Amino acid sequence: MSDRPKILIVDDEPDVLLTLRMILESEGFDPILAADGETALRRVDDEQPDLVVLDIMMPVLDGWFVLAELGGRATHPSVVVCSAKSGDADRTRASDLGADEYVTKPFEPDDLVDVIRAVLARHRAAV
Amino acid sequence: MDQLPVEISQRIRHEARVAGLHDHAPSIEMVERRRLQLWSIMIIVMIAVGLAALAVSGATGNGSWVTGQPLVLAGGVGLLAVGFCIYAVEKEVHLHRLSRLLVDERLLSNTMALQLQMNTALFNAGKALNSVMDLDDVLDAILANALELLGAAGGSVMLLEDQTVLRVVAVRGEGIVRDARIRIGESVVGRVAQSREALLVSREVATADAGGALDPTTEVGGAMCVPLVNRGQLLGVLTVLAAKQTEFSEDDLAVLNLFAEPVAAATAKAGLYEAERANVAKLLESDRMKSQFVASVSHELRTPITSIRGAVAASRRTDIPAQREELLDVVDRQSGRLQAMVEEMLVAARMQENANRPTMQQIDLCALIRLTALDSHVAGRPVDLELPHACSVRSEPEALRRVLTNLIENAHKYGSEPIRVAVQVADDQVVMSVIDAGPGIPPEERERIFERFYRSDPNGTKPGMGLGLSIVRGLVESCGGTVWVEDAPGGGAAFRVALRASFVLEPPVEAVHV
Repeated sequence: MSDRPKILIVDDEPDVLLTLRMILESEGFDPILAADGETALRRVDDEQPDLVVLDIMMPVLDGWFVLAELGGRATHPSVVVCSAKSGDADRTRASDLGADEYVTKPFEPDDLVDVIRAVLARHRAAV
Repeated sequence: MDQLPVEISQRIRHEARVAGLHDHAPSIEMVERRRLQLWSIMIIVMIAVGLAALAVSGATGNGSWVTGQPLVLAGGVGLLAVGFCIYAVEKEVHLHRLSRLLVDERLLSNTMALQLQMNTALFNAGKALNSVMDLDDVLDAILANALELLGAAGGSVMLLEDQTVLRVVAVRGEGIVRDARIRIGESVVGRVAQSREALLVSREVATADAGGALDPTTEVGGAMCVPLVNRGQLLGVLTVLAAKQTEFSEDDLAVLNLFAEPVAAATAKAGLYEAERANVAKLLESDRMKSQFVASVSHELRTPITSIRGAVAASRRTDIPAQREELLDVVDRQSGRLQAMVEEMLVAARMQENANRPTMQQIDLCALIRLTALDSHVAGRPVDLELPHACSVRSEPEALRRVLTNLIENAHKYGSEPIRVAVQVADDQVVMSVIDAGPGIPPEERERIFERFYRSDPNGTKPGMGLGLSIVRGLVESCGGTVWVEDAPGGGAAFRVALRASFVLEPPVEAVHV
């Protein structure tokens, strides 16, 4: 892992992508973007990010599909699900599919940054 | 009724005893045999007496046979014959009486068996009515019992589909076509429905005047039709068909009339139940859609708030003016989105309260479409226009603008580009169409998509609250128009809004890309 962990932000809302990119950049991360599930999977293959911030409700391939697809691989980046879906069933499902954390929209951006740092630290410790 | 057979059987036993029959349960055949025996013996006795008389007269020669010993013999034989005759006549009287009693008893027991059978059938029909709430099952059970009791070949229940047409909803046995329709007043069944009087129908009439309800490949006998009336209201007609070459009697018609009552009650009760069930289903669906609406709204509210909070947090982390400007745009855009959502909800709520009465005025629909298309283009939703130069309708401009905006947004959200807006003028109507090149709307959803809170995308992968199209319909109807969706020629969905034309200014069509 480099000094600037690579974070893939996946969300179909351009403004969410834009603001998160700025925030993560200012916090010393290297953010890359995807607006749908298909692009997200391609960018995971191409760029090998350290962590994915994943929205759930997206057109074409949704976040559940991406999560299941990543979970089926031998090695995959850590995943922080970041969704407006706030039900317990959704949290459980995300956890079952291998998500590391679940953040409900709207969130305090600083809190998201803290969660990302914690997940990365956990991952580093495990490695 | 049940006292009579006891009394008859006592008399039968008495007569049998007197007539010399010692069997406890003599049959008609036994009595007839006895009578035959009696008559045979009597004939033999008479012949014997005749022969004896001849013998006596021969023995006396030319002399008078009424004198001397032969006279005594003849007198004895004669007295014997007379005595036997009296005995035979007396037995015959009792045997004749016994025979009549036995016939009466047989008739009575047959009638009682029939009555019992009918009671059983009616009981079963009643049981079916009480235990099964599904109308089809109830009607089927009652029909089955009626056919069994009457020994009929087939039968049907026809119910009123609307006020003028009867439809076959239950069929048993053979001869009647399911779902066949008959107009009231036409053919035998239609006339029974009209007159509300039960009818016994001959085989010829049943075959010739069935009005399409009879299967032409089946040969049937006579028929009976009984109207189904509950609380003075005609519900349908119960029909049974006799086996081929046979006819029903007036008694059969009376029996069928007895069946009509539970059928009518079952129909009325099941109808109420069906209505109640439909009502409950509708309420549950409405509840489900409202829950989905709350989920959709919360999702729709959360998304712009996430962007706004993100923009504020990001702007605190940067000093670059261009970036701050960009983030302010985000705040502006997303708060506008929130405002639009709140407005949309308010419009929907106002529409439900029916407080929003638009002020109708004559407007140029084409000018309004061009302006709305321009706004839409600025918002990143381009449309192609196929319009006459001008076209006047009576409507409320703000309502119509919102209708068009919603339809264009919808086409971009759920359909595919290119999105076209076209206007066609026909007689006193102007039809505005918003056409996309997407997958179109499946026929079963074409009405539902206009319901409040209904979403064709229940997983919420597309943003929205399920209000847009219900607002469209409410606004169009408040302007005296109609809106519907159909397949566009060449694929995609075509949302059409028909409005009343004021007068048409100019018809030529121009194609513009905005």
